[in-house]
Amino acid sequence: MIKVEGISKYYRLGTQGSGRLREDWSNWWKSVGRKSARADASSQGEAHIWALKDVSFEVGEGEVIGFIGKNGAGKSTLLKIISRITQPTQGRIRGRGRIASLLEVGTGFHQELTGRENIYLNGHMLGMTRREIDSQFDAIVDFSGVETFLDTPVKRYSSGMYVRLAFAVAAHLTPEILIVDEVLSVGDAEFQQKCLRKMKEVSGQEGRTVLFVSHNMQALRNLCHRAYILEHGVLVEGGPADRMIARYLRDSQVHFLRQFYPEPALAPGNDHIRIKRVELIPAYSGAEELIDIRTALQLELEFWYEPPGVSDLIVGIHLFALTGDCVFDVSSSRTTLDKGLVKCGCRIPANFLNDGSYYISIVFVSNTTHRLFYFESCLAFEVADYREHTSWYGKWIGYVRPDFKVTLEALNPDGYV
Amino acid sequence: MAEIEEWEWEIDPRYHWFKWELGAIPQYKDLLFRLVRRDLLANYQQTILGPFWILLQPVLTMLLYWVIFGTIVKVSTNGIPPLVFYLSGIICWNFFSDCLSGTMYTFIHNSAVFGKVWFPRLLVPLSVVLAQGVRMLVQLALFFLLYGIFYVRGDVPASGIGWLLLPVVVLWIGLFGLGVGLLLSVLTARYRDLDYSLQFILRLWMFASPVFYPAQLLSGKYGFFLWLNPMTPLIEAFRVFCFRREVDHVGYFWAAGGAVLVVLAMGIAFFKRHEESVNDIV
Repeated sequence: MIKVEGISKYYRLGTQGSGRLREDWSNWWKSVGRKSARADASSQGEAHIWALKDVSFEVGEGEVIGFIGKNGAGKSTLLKIISRITQPTQGRIRGRGRIASLLEVGTGFHQELTGRENIYLNGHMLGMTRREIDSQFDAIVDFSGVETFLDTPVKRYSSGMYVRLAFAVAAHLTPEILIVDEVLSVGDAEFQQKCLRKMKEVSGQEGRTVLFVSHNMQALRNLCHRAYILEHGVLVEGGPADRMIARYLRDSQVHFLRQFYPEPALAPGNDHIRIKRVELIPAYSGAEELIDIRTALQLELEFWYEPPGVSDLIVGIHLFALTGDCVFDVSSSRTTLDKGLVKCGCRIPANFLNDGSYYISIVFVSNTTHRLFYFESCLAFEVADYREHTSWYGKWIGYVRPDFKVTLEALNPDGYV
Repeated sequence: MAEIEEWEWEIDPRYHWFKWELGAIPQYKDLLFRLVRRDLLANYQQTILGPFWILLQPVLTMLLYWVIFGTIVKVSTNGIPPLVFYLSGIICWNFFSDCLSGTMYTFIHNSAVFGKVWFPRLLVPLSVVLAQGVRMLVQLALFFLLYGIFYVRGDVPASGIGWLLLPVVVLWIGLFGLGVGLLLSVLTARYRDLDYSLQFILRLWMFASPVFYPAQLLSGKYGFFLWLNPMTPLIEAFRVFCFRREVDHVGYFWAAGGAVLVVLAMGIAFFKRHEESVNDIV
């Protein structure tokens, strides 16, 4: 149970060098007369930043809350203030229940000490008592998978072992309120899975409140009941996690879905081809205007055409992934057309492209081999992830994610014959 | 309805001079002892002599002083055998200076941890002083061994009732180092220049304290000012309680104790007042 009321956090920027002592002195001198020296400093126009501005919300017991936002939106600052690591400039937070914050794995690990010593040291720092660690010790060691190196100084560990041991301690915390900041992105994919499963298990327990920051939307969708969107230190919106995630993804998607030129003279092209309009029209599946893997995309193209002598025309569509790899190259049939406005269409079906960023180039070819015009990178779009009925949180690999059936059947139920 | 609810904790932007929250420390005793243990374990990793350095370091210093101040410069030791005289000064001074220099960088050396997890920050300087206390106990054992040898040979008189106060002297020396260290820890985090000047000041302070000379040398016109340094009466008291039957300078001793408690209270207040804001600077 946490109640956050009007929290703001102000950071002074700039150098903290030789002028420091004088500045401190004059601030102190001013504060002798009035109590509001710090509020003053903010209005003095010196370089500063409001990392958080007037953030208020409430978290009920047993709720799992996600915070979404770009880097620098204030998510981490907010978690740090609730964890008592840094002080708010204004506002107040009240709460009930023991807090453990996990802003990093392996906090306080000492390089020279053994894994065993570090389990205790780190566990105590995270607020566990000796009894709690003793009773969970075997489970921690088991989870980490480093039994054989338990009495080796951690500086001899590989970075993977180090992270596994560190997370193993964190995974066995049993506070009433758990604060987690993007720590699940460490380690290899397999271990990340294990961590997320553990997180799900932990957050599902009765009465456990979790505040959670992650860039892994699949994890947020699976773990959180509610989510808040932070933008430049301001709490923009809060609501059901699904809706907030869709909204955030939509706002942060970089699209370039349409180009339109009313006059041929101003349009890109050459003597034979002038582009009038090229547009990608998404068939949104939900209420949110979000392109995800379930969204079919209709490509529409209109151009002014003047054939070079006697010739036919092929229009080809190249779809590239952001890496530059071509995902597909589809083209129209050879068609003989007269001078005038031409319309071309193509539909990229739903459940075909995987999540990721893509761009489209269009090629105009006459007589099969002669390239008339290449309209490069004319459209760009992002596809967001969407998964149902799965607890797999990792990146789904591949450029395409078609909905092909994969069958599985028992051939001989009686044995290996 | 919301007003009826009971809140267990509150975070606000105010600074508190006197909200020391010392009551939270017993809950964290496991962490405190673990930090002491870390300090003692980690310091002697990958050294050949390991914990023997606790003894070797004061012994080597003692021999050095014996050569320089005992035989070359010939500073008086007030009738006390030079070896035990120097050793008493060295272990008292080192305890103080190790407590001080171990705690005055609290924020700088722990910024990585303080930036990621909350626990009562006072635990860290406290653990340093406790770890130094363990070292001090080992060194005291060495001192009394040497003292015993000289006693058997009849070079030192049996001490009077004063030795019962020795634990108090040692405690005060440690708390004095802690108090000054707490005051400085906030300043070293804000003004990095102090890194350089403090090493120098600490050396100067040692020369102003009766480590290798008896406090009686601090007489004369300005001698009184040197007695204002609490380390002077504390080291002197340590020697008086060990080597004298009749105890003098008791007034100075109690005054030093009072000064120690005042410095410690100021240190804790200053530390608590700034412990959260300092994190944004380091």
